[in-house]
Amino acid sequence: MNPDSTRTAPIMIGLDVGSTTVKATVVDPESRAILWRDYQRHHTRQPESVLDFLERIAAAFPGVPSETIRVFVTGSGAAPIAPNIGARFVQEVNAVTMAVEDLHPDVGSVIELGGQDAKIIMFRKNEETGEKQVMTSMNDKCASGTGATIDKCMIKVGMPEGDMAGLKFDRERLHHVAAKCGVFAETDIVNLVKSGIPASEIMNSLADAIVTQNLSVLTRGNTLKDRVLLLGGPNTFLPFLQECWRLRIPESWEQRGHTWDKSRPVEELIFVPEGSQYYAAYGAVLYGLHEPASVGKFTGIEGLRNFIVHGRKARLGEAAGPPLVRNKSDLEVFRENYRIPKFVSAELVPGQVVRGVIGLDGGSTSSKCVLVDESGTILLKEYTLSKGNPIQDMKDMLRSLNDRVEAQGATLDVIGFGATGYAADVLEESLRADVNIVETVAHMMSAVHFFGPDVDVICDIGGQDIKVLFMQNGDIKNFRLSNQCSAGNGMLLQAMADQFGIPVQEYAGAAFEAGMSPKFSYGCAVFLDADRVNFQKEGYTKEELLAGLAMVLPKNIWQYVVQIPRMASLGTKFVLQGGTQHNLAALKAQVDYIKERVPDAQVFVHPHTGEAGAIGAAMETLRVVKRRGSSTFVGLQAAIGIEYTSKNDEETRCHFCANECSRTFIDTRTHDGQTSRYISGFSCEKGTVESLDALKVLQKERNKIRKRYPNLVEYEAKLAFRQIRVPVPLPAAGTPTDARVVETNLVEARGILGRLLGKREQRVVRRGFERSSQDAAERRARARIGIPKALNIWSMAPFLRSYFETAGVDGKGVVFSEDTSEEMWLEGAKYGSVDPCYPAKVSQAHIHQLLFHEHDGDGGVGGKRLDYVFFPCITHLPSFLDGTMDSAACPIVAGTPEVMKAAFTKEVDFFATRGIEYLSPALTFNEPNLLKRQLFEVFGPRLGLTRDENDFAVDEAWKALAEFDREIQDKGRQVIEEVERDDQIAILMLGRPYHSDPGLNHTVMDEFQVLGYPILSMRSIPKDRGWLERFFRKDIADGRIRDSLGLEDVWPEAYSANSAQKVWAARFAARHPNIAVLDLSSFKCGHDAPTYGIIDNIISTAGTPYSALHDIDANKPTGSIRIRVKTYAHSLKLHKERLEDVASQKEALGYRVDEKRIELLRLKQAQVAARHGQLDPALEGQIQDALGRMRAYEAKREKKAETPAGIITLSSLSLTKKRMHAGATA
Amino acid sequence: MTTDLLNFVPLSAFGKSSPPLGEVDIDAELARFEADERKKLGLGGKEQYQEKLFHDPRTAKKAHTTILVSGLTMAQDLLVSGALAGIGYRVISLDAPDQQALRLGKEFGNRGQCNPTYFTVGNLVKHLQLLRESEGITTQQVVDNYVFLTAGSCGPCRFGMYVTEYRKALRDAGFEGFRVLLFQMAGGIKQASGDDKDGLVMGPAFFWPIVKALLIGDVLNGIAYRIRPFEVEPGATDKAMQESKEILHAAFVADGNLIVAMWKVRRIFGAVKVDRLRPKPKVGIIGEFWAMTTEGDGNYRIQKFLQEEGAEVDVQFVANWILFMVWEAERDTRHRMSLGKDDKGRKGLEGKDPRKKLIMTWLGDKAIRLLFQSFAQMLGLHGFTLPDMHEIASVAKDFYNHDVRGGEAHMEVAKNILNVIHSKVNMTLSVKPFGCMPSSGVSDGVQSAITELYPEAIFLPIETTGDGAVNVYSRVQMMLFKARKAARKELDDVLGAYDMSEDEARNLIARVPGLAHALIAAPHRHASTAANIAELAGSIRHPVKGFQRWWAHRNHKPEERLAKHLASRANLGVPTAARTPASVKAPAASVKSQPVKTA
Repeated sequence: MNPDSTRTAPIMIGLDVGSTTVKATVVDPESRAILWRDYQRHHTRQPESVLDFLERIAAAFPGVPSETIRVFVTGSGAAPIAPNIGARFVQEVNAVTMAVEDLHPDVGSVIELGGQDAKIIMFRKNEETGEKQVMTSMNDKCASGTGATIDKCMIKVGMPEGDMAGLKFDRERLHHVAAKCGVFAETDIVNLVKSGIPASEIMNSLADAIVTQNLSVLTRGNTLKDRVLLLGGPNTFLPFLQECWRLRIPESWEQRGHTWDKSRPVEELIFVPEGSQYYAAYGAVLYGLHEPASVGKFTGIEGLRNFIVHGRKARLGEAAGPPLVRNKSDLEVFRENYRIPKFVSAELVPGQVVRGVIGLDGGSTSSKCVLVDESGTILLKEYTLSKGNPIQDMKDMLRSLNDRVEAQGATLDVIGFGATGYAADVLEESLRADVNIVETVAHMMSAVHFFGPDVDVICDIGGQDIKVLFMQNGDIKNFRLSNQCSAGNGMLLQAMADQFGIPVQEYAGAAFEAGMSPKFSYGCAVFLDADRVNFQKEGYTKEELLAGLAMVLPKNIWQYVVQIPRMASLGTKFVLQGGTQHNLAALKAQVDYIKERVPDAQVFVHPHTGEAGAIGAAMETLRVVKRRGSSTFVGLQAAIGIEYTSKNDEETRCHFCANECSRTFIDTRTHDGQTSRYISGFSCEKGTVESLDALKVLQKERNKIRKRYPNLVEYEAKLAFRQIRVPVPLPAAGTPTDARVVETNLVEARGILGRLLGKREQRVVRRGFERSSQDAAERRARARIGIPKALNIWSMAPFLRSYFETAGVDGKGVVFSEDTSEEMWLEGAKYGSVDPCYPAKVSQAHIHQLLFHEHDGDGGVGGKRLDYVFFPCITHLPSFLDGTMDSAACPIVAGTPEVMKAAFTKEVDFFATRGIEYLSPALTFNEPNLLKRQLFEVFGPRLGLTRDENDFAVDEAWKALAEFDREIQDKGRQVIEEVERDDQIAILMLGRPYHSDPGLNHTVMDEFQVLGYPILSMRSIPKDRGWLERFFRKDIADGRIRDSLGLEDVWPEAYSANSAQKVWAARFAARHPNIAVLDLSSFKCGHDAPTYGIIDNIISTAGTPYSALHDIDANKPTGSIRIRVKTYAHSLKLHKERLEDVASQKEALGYRVDEKRIELLRLKQAQVAARHGQLDPALEGQIQDALGRMRAYEAKREKKAETPAGIITLSSLSLTKKRMHAGATA
Repeated sequence: MTTDLLNFVPLSAFGKSSPPLGEVDIDAELARFEADERKKLGLGGKEQYQEKLFHDPRTAKKAHTTILVSGLTMAQDLLVSGALAGIGYRVISLDAPDQQALRLGKEFGNRGQCNPTYFTVGNLVKHLQLLRESEGITTQQVVDNYVFLTAGSCGPCRFGMYVTEYRKALRDAGFEGFRVLLFQMAGGIKQASGDDKDGLVMGPAFFWPIVKALLIGDVLNGIAYRIRPFEVEPGATDKAMQESKEILHAAFVADGNLIVAMWKVRRIFGAVKVDRLRPKPKVGIIGEFWAMTTEGDGNYRIQKFLQEEGAEVDVQFVANWILFMVWEAERDTRHRMSLGKDDKGRKGLEGKDPRKKLIMTWLGDKAIRLLFQSFAQMLGLHGFTLPDMHEIASVAKDFYNHDVRGGEAHMEVAKNILNVIHSKVNMTLSVKPFGCMPSSGVSDGVQSAITELYPEAIFLPIETTGDGAVNVYSRVQMMLFKARKAARKELDDVLGAYDMSEDEARNLIARVPGLAHALIAAPHRHASTAANIAELAGSIRHPVKGFQRWWAHRNHKPEERLAKHLASRANLGVPTAARTPASVKAPAASVKSQPVKTA
């Protein structure tokens, strides 16, 4: 732009102060022409940057009198600046809307992706008034971080910014990335990087995820009409993102029946205009043109200067938090105490042969490796940032290690190799490592090595994960890991430093400088980033922001991840480790936090904080190799020289199920010709093999294990939707029956009169059973009712199936949708307008499946048609618990059918257009009489049922439900009694009913099943009071509860049926020594939230093994599941050993008590003999009994030694079949 | 069996009998032996968790107990504290929850709670910490001498679990034993509670002053929100409000004459100078009860923000909420009365007298309305009627099942529809806590269909997390821009219809006695106050024209739309947006809204 330096006519300035840049336009108010424009990154110095712009504009237009200038500002950082220069603030979406309306009157919709937010603007023409109506929508908090997410992922995949411009979108090579939240996306991306997926494919997958997310959520279920304008940084600078829009938007048009001008090229229909980054700034000026001339009058730059110098502190002073460092001496003391000793590599002598083991930790963002000699001394360390392939990282590090040794004239003799971290599996496979241990155990071993077995808490903070281990006797007693929502904290610190242009090594120096800090509240990295923008806008400096961010880290660890507010209960000896501890600001914040809450705490920082995992792996290798006397490791030179190919294409895709996982094969070959293949990127065990034959072998093996260790969650999930009870025919017309009637008088009338005078009398009338006509019966037999397999249908499916079948609907006419799968979700997830938990959201995909796969409309022979889609609002559930306040369903679960009705009828009525009726009546399952009427009101007229027929079907349905419960509890009883007998452990899954859906529980239970743990569902615990008595006897005797199915001692306010049942199941587990708990909870689950603390108290007081997988969402965080499963397996192993110890001690106790008893009885016998002159036969009998018991103990002990434990044999499904027939004949 | 370990039943208990004197007592000997052995082997039983409860109202002795109250608007919290003081309790109302409360709530509460829980629970912890730290009271004294009084509920959302959360947070913050006393939201005026005269007795004598304080608080807020946007002298309304609260609080404390106090308040507000012709968009706040009611950081002080941005705020009253609960009780009873057999369960009628329940609900509804209207008339909130819950239910029926409860249930949807079809406001802002189950999980989903049916509605749902205000403000400003234009257009249309300029209208209002009075309410015809006052002024100037417009408005039937409207339009090939906004074709109005029958 060449401004006109001679211009004297007035100008208008539009400034867009965003989260990372400032954009400015100078506009001629007469012609609306842009006279000058520019943009700059502000590096958090927004007021300074604006000042700079204003000075430059003044220089460019020296002839324009200052008082004729008008200024309009927009953007997230503009509001506090406006009053200082006399500017008027314009909201940015309005500004963009003005610009688009002016520049592109034919545009139908706008998608603007910014650094922090996404906005969609849709224009509609009102046909009657001709007015243009504008609908705007911005992302909610969770979906934010679009631009910022792309930035962070670029760092993760290691793709240079320059390469992005050349990247092409390729729809054929996409991988699953969750885009609803930036942190979830990062978690997925880390996994993809670790699987060796090329950066280009990862970025394409991210783009696709962002586009799909925006199309399904941000549009609030509306169709983006053409032409579509793409705005914002990511849309402008990333061609592959543009291409993705151009692919996905027309797909949505096709799907929703929107017609568009197909003759125009798609680049014209979906386009990025020139100068798109200036639209908001320009729009602000256009807005100003509508305002009176007195508005936005420029008052000069003095005010702004003053604001920069004085205004900020005055405004922030009160709200700000304390600084990280109170005074210089405080800092000195801290630095002195926590200076991490600089590691000095071992000095070697020429000719020396260095014998030692190598420990390698392939972490999420970096890999570390240590060489440890036989005495356990650390000789050398290596570190490398991940280059996208774990084998390459390993080769580089080992080569460097070897070179360093050789450079000193020494030689290296590696006697063992151990690996941990994300990359451990591939290294174990390709290098035949001696040790492959999970990170948590490695960290534990390392901490114990340095600080002794009396360590109480180990807190490891890496780039992605937070791991906190609670210790007892030098081993892991319990642990907490960051979940999807609390991941990426270390990375956030790094990304923030990057954003401010500060090398991460200088982070602490800068943060210590700050004299105050903004008060962040704990939360996920996306929320923290959003807060950061907010604080930045308020005027905090980067130093203060960095300090504030460091200070929120301990809150995120202790309040968000660990959730134990009384830290003192954990112990006093804390060890901090993990790469993030190198950042002294973060370290100081944590030390201060811990010491404030545990005054007598000893807080240590690991001397090799970043390499703790690698050291742990090395120490374990040392132990294993010494014990075994040999190593399996391929050898150093073989490892360095290993050749590998990484392949991810159509050929490596897994076709063994509908998920069609895109797998990566890493093939390695050592110089002596040994080859191995490592496969990653699969979501189930089928992906671990390559051929059908191998799959068969694998499945046979798995089935064998499954049979031995039953998974009752899986069993229940299947059984619930099958026919449990063969339908009993409806009674013949006229069969005597008792009908209940109510006579009311005036009560239906409103007003006081009806209330005062109304009489109500309920009576039983004996009369003949009323049957409907033959016609109606035939109609019913042909009816087809689709039911989404979602939410509380998982509880009530046996009831519903039996109700319909008894009423005369053919068994095949009751059509449940399939189990949730990724494929189903991707296909049917575009109707949503709200973003609740995944189990609620996924209902739309189930309804979509019913509409588009279970219904083809014609209903002719062989054709499929549905008459109804039945998705009841289940407001209350039946509950086995007694004495709870209510038995209500979660309000989202109850209300989702209404949300679905809105979603599927708002633009197009998908039901009506397909001739289907959607039914979402309320069903109140804890009031059986009301329930009968509710069902009758819906299906009486539709299926032609008489009231008697309806009531009979409901009664039968209850029986079916009871049979289902009996069946599953029988199985549960068998498993529990088996594990008791054999001192084994069964894992009880705590969850809500829909967590039985394999698509919602991510089949995490299978991982434990193959490790040899049978799985119990909550429903499978017997609820028979007699059976439960032995667990609750003491509680009842103490008066804590009235009966075994009560909760009043732990949660008197329980009213949510499923939450209460979860708490009860935890309580049961706490009383059973052979049951361990795995607690599942979905992201955003409001009803689970209040139970976290209760369950934690119950479980931790009893010392029951416990692990949780919280915040489950659509994506499967395989990395985090893997660590959990492995760590938990470690804890379970320890628990099992303890159990065995206890069992043998208990037997010994029984034996010794009987020994003592015999001794006493003999003594008494002697006394009796002395007194009466003869032996007491009763006493003799008792002696013989005790002797018999002792012999039995001995025999059992011998037998136990002979038969292997852990084989649980259950009767198969035939039991169910027997029942079904019994039901039929009943 | 291994499980015998859990519940220590001595193995030696087999065949227990008392030995004759002098002989060895085998059972006692064995029990001793076994206990010793167990100890040696480390075979103790598992410990089990038990939640300790502290909620007995009888322990709250009047003589030395201070009751803490909080949770509604600042005016209501103050007046309730006055009301309880008037019947002999020591009461303190807490400050509106702020960011610090949120942080404490998050620190001591469960992860994943909704933010009203964090804010309110944290606010209590904050106050107790303050007592301990700045007033030098020991923890034990805090526990012994203070109780917190709050509303309880039976779900179905997280709200019902507040008391569990209070207990957890207080325990973790070091105040174990602190008593949180509950009165049930739906428990009616007589609740099971202490009968000890010295303790807290939750009977009619206790609730009656509270109800009065709540309703008077509602009316006060209503008046202030009406006047503040139009005050000529900035700050005059807040000053009047402050004075009024003090006068009423004093009257409550002294158990004195409320009527006299209300007349004084009326005069104070009446003296505020206003200019009602300023075209300010009227923004109706609906949403989740707490989020839309609080005046602190819990909703980003959204009412204040809106007013600063030039809007008039239409708030929801606590009275509406009470009426809604009365409606729920009535509806649930009526719904079940025609069953041949009564059910058990919380709502089942087994063992209950439904007729009595219906009479009580009828009386309750009428009493609240009567009381509210009396206070409204006395204080000067004219031309306002509390919403008809049956109308609300009927409007929402086809979108939101009446049995689906939690939060405001179907009310949000109904209020949005009524706001549009009766031109009640220019913009509807639905405020809900982040992840609020009934509100953002269900209502917002249904609202998306409503906005499709009523595209003319300016509707904005916002989720509040307590942080990240900048995004929320930005979104509100975005919509307010449209609302501002709508309000301007309304005023221009009215002025145009009477052929008046704004200055002419302003002069007329100044000249006609009473028209410029702070407490006058022009009959409702349009959404914005400026258009209504202009309509009134215009009809004074041109009575015939005024009558014609009134007649047209009176005969106008608002259009209620259902999904089938969409379908029929789609079949005719008419785009769904091709409907005339209700605000455009509503040229006349009556003060009372028309009852609506659902098609």
